Amino acid sequence: MLLLGKIALGVVGTAVAGVGLLCSEGMVEVKVVERQPEVHHVYVIAPAMLAPIAVHFAPQRDLSQAAAEIRPWMPTIRAALDQLRETDDMTLVEVKEPGEHVRVTKEGGSIVVDVEDHDDTVHVSTPIRAISSTIEQLAAAGPSI
Amino acid sequence: MRKRLCGIGMICVLAGMVATAPAAMAGPTERYLHVKVEDASKGESVNVNVPLSMAEKILPTINKGDMHNGHVKIGHADMDDVDIRALLDAVRTAPDNEFVTVKEKDQDVRVAKSNGNLVVHVRDAGKGGEKVDVTIPMKVVDALLSTTKDNELDVSAAIKALSDAGDAVLVTVEDASQRVRIWVDSKGSQE
Repeated sequence: MLLLGKIALGVVGTAVAGVGLLCSEGMVEVKVVERQPEVHHVYVIAPAMLAPIAVHFAPQRDLSQAAAEIRPWMPTIRAALDQLRETDDMTLVEVKEPGEHVRVTKEGGSIVVDVEDHDDTVHVSTPIRAISSTIEQLAAAGPSI
Repeated sequence: MRKRLCGIGMICVLAGMVATAPAAMAGPTERYLHVKVEDASKGESVNVNVPLSMAEKILPTINKGDMHNGHVKIGHADMDDVDIRALLDAVRTAPDNEFVTVKEKDQDVRVAKSNGNLVVHVRDAGKGGEKVDVTIPMKVVDALLSTTKDNELDVSAAIKALSDAGDAVLVTVEDASQRVRIWVDSKGSQE
């Protein structure tokens, strides 16, 4: 009985540690509302750490082109993300057209993109840390130059 | 009575020090470059807000084309053989004055140095009443020229100088339907 208790404690502990690790980079939140032709609601919330892991396991040959293109810009991307992390919450870009509204904001530790038009409403929130580690993974993919 | 007054005075001084300490200890206020483009005829608007500290850190990392380490290379060929550096230096060292004044039937152009700013005004009644106003603090011009190389401008230093300057409207362009405004202040939003 004591042994069973210890095993259960071990399993629960491992699960909690695993969940904690998975959520360590925050959560990616995607909310889509399609209004036409039918109303559809899509809501996905996933650990942001899955993104760099997915890039890590993606076929190298498919990523090498993107990796080669992004690598020269890595110092700029790193500087931008570092500064974004430190800056206060703010609207970075806002575009308004009749029937369309796009907003890119920094909220907490995340970059939030909201798009609203006649047909759809899209909300995507991604932690900056996850963006950073995904781009680092992407840049590291493929043959080094 | 005198002791009590001294005590009250000391308490007031201490209270004042405590009240002002957070402001004194806080770092320099973040400053933002705002760009707002509005097209009333189409009902469109674009707002961009950039923390100047971010621009300051990003610019030196860009090494592409004529941009490197926060400096931009200016070729004489690109400027129709106008030595832009010499031109800016001449403006910088000149006293406050009107440099260019052009008055035509439909057009009015004025370039001047006034109150520590380089000022350009253009009024064009012909093109739907186009109005252009550019005000650049001379500190920014100084910073642009702070590099030792003749064919370069130090954009990074100019951004730093801009963040040290006060709130300022740098550029406004208006015509019958469109309005562009570029300004610097310490507010993160355009509200």
